[in-house]
Amino acid sequence: MAEILGSILDNTASVCHGPSLIAIQEVGSPTSTLGEYKNRADLVVFWGSNPVHAHPRHLGRYSEFVRGYFRKDGRNDRFIIVVDPRNTHTAQIADLYIQVNPSEDYELINAMRAILRGVELDAEEISGVSMENIIELVNKLKSCNFGVIFFGMGLTQSLSHHRNVDTAICLVRELNDYTKFSLTAMRGHYNVAGANQVFTWQTGYPYSIDFSKGYPRFNPGEFSSVDILLRNEIDALLIVASDPASNFPAAAVKNMFKHPFISIEPHHTPTSVNADVVLPPAIAGIECEGTAYRMDSVPLRLRKVKDAPGECLTDKDILERLIEVVKKKKGD
Amino acid sequence: MGKSESEIKNLTVYHGNEEKTIGNFFDVSGKGEDLNDLKISIEGNLLKVKRIGEKMTNGEILINGNVGMHVGNRMTGGKILVNGNADDWAGAMLNGGELEITRNAGHYVGAAYRGFWKGMQNGIIKVHGKIGDEALTWVNGSKPAKRFPTLKCGSAGSFLGIHGHGGTIIVEGDCNRCIGADQVRGTIVVKGKVSKILPSYKKIGEVNEIELMSGEKIKGKFFEYSGDHSVEKNHSKIDKKTGEISNSSNGRLFIAV
Repeated sequence: MAEILGSILDNTASVCHGPSLIAIQEVGSPTSTLGEYKNRADLVVFWGSNPVHAHPRHLGRYSEFVRGYFRKDGRNDRFIIVVDPRNTHTAQIADLYIQVNPSEDYELINAMRAILRGVELDAEEISGVSMENIIELVNKLKSCNFGVIFFGMGLTQSLSHHRNVDTAICLVRELNDYTKFSLTAMRGHYNVAGANQVFTWQTGYPYSIDFSKGYPRFNPGEFSSVDILLRNEIDALLIVASDPASNFPAAAVKNMFKHPFISIEPHHTPTSVNADVVLPPAIAGIECEGTAYRMDSVPLRLRKVKDAPGECLTDKDILERLIEVVKKKKGD
Repeated sequence: MGKSESEIKNLTVYHGNEEKTIGNFFDVSGKGEDLNDLKISIEGNLLKVKRIGEKMTNGEILINGNVGMHVGNRMTGGKILVNGNADDWAGAMLNGGELEITRNAGHYVGAAYRGFWKGMQNGIIKVHGKIGDEALTWVNGSKPAKRFPTLKCGSAGSFLGIHGHGGTIIVEGDCNRCIGADQVRGTIVVKGKVSKILPSYKKIGEVNEIELMSGEKIKGKFFEYSGDHSVEKNHSKIDKKTGEISNSSNGRLFIAV
């Protein structure tokens, strides 16, 4: 549809893990599926993420309490490190908690990489963490059998955005000189990983795609939804299954309400309540079947549980019918 | 080249997702000449006009007014002068020529586009005012190949010259945090203050004169730092012939005393 209309296509990654994707494009990503972590990881780092609240099933199923093939004793076989400015509930069940100053993660990882390389640093403390603690942390990371860093919004949406992830990836890459290490983004927003996957295999880019010239162009900051709303460069919106009105900055939402917008959304949200047209679809995974991607980009089949109320169509049917009408109107 | 006034008016420009012509937005006078003598002068508020001087090879463009994103990106020769402010990505991946901006510029001045490992490779960018964050990312210069990508600016934001491989950056005023992060080699000279220096930079001492990669010299009292020591250096640190520790294998950061 975006290609036919010559419009801009974006997904929720641009307000959550978009910076991770930019960093991955620059320095790569040593990653693995969650099953590997469950069966093998003996050191788990949660950096700027709070799974106790944000991903409640994550700890029990993949990373902390679960018994794996090589980690038979569950929690006792794993060493948990939490790096966060706040003493979160995840930090309270960790073996080692490092309190870092807000938005100073870059300096801390930078120092860790230098220490890993054997450089002696002059500073006594970095980002609010004492030098002994940093050295202890680096030694812990070096000495495990299989380590993993799970990072969340604390890295991607604090001051240095994608540069935090960039240097974290470099740290993981260098840790692989000593042991097996990988990292995974704690993706939120239901199936945002799937949106990135599909966008990437259809257009070549994960998000912030511009079709105005007929071919896809990619540039977050220029074509990402918050920025184009702030600069007021659009005249209509189609919002599918997301709620920008409660997640975007107020100035962007104000500009969004200036233009006609259609919402394809089964729930009452600030977006769907204020939309000019609401097309309620059946809920995928409950009222119709579909595919969703897990945070490690593993596709999972969702089965239908009950019938949709009334004449609700699936998202796919609604969009396909819209495309037919758009094609007719454009005359091809 | 060699186009008449009406031919220039009918050249395509994109307005959103519609194709328009230059004549829809600008009054045009003059005609196309030989590329070497070609001088284009653009007047007005061009803050939303993108990609002026993209992939330019020769000639001169004078812009009186503010200009939008990507001015002079990937240009390989010629000169662009902006009498006003520029938006983000000014001179991105510049590969020759000269870009001058008399007031401020946005983020990503002379930076590499997303996912590129070689950013600005040659040429010079001068910004009289301040610039935003992440200028000159993945800059790639080379002394043997005589490529000296250079940025001169009034003051700069954070992450100046990140992932640099041999760029030259001269800042007349102050800088924000994390400058020269992940820099493999290259020179950064700051004549003002830096809000915070990265822990992986090591202080060497005090110098009275700096020799830039191009051989140019800057006088004044500076603290010298070497780095970024958190990044792997592929090049040998010691010259095989003379046994000297080579400056080109480490990033150099100079900050005014």
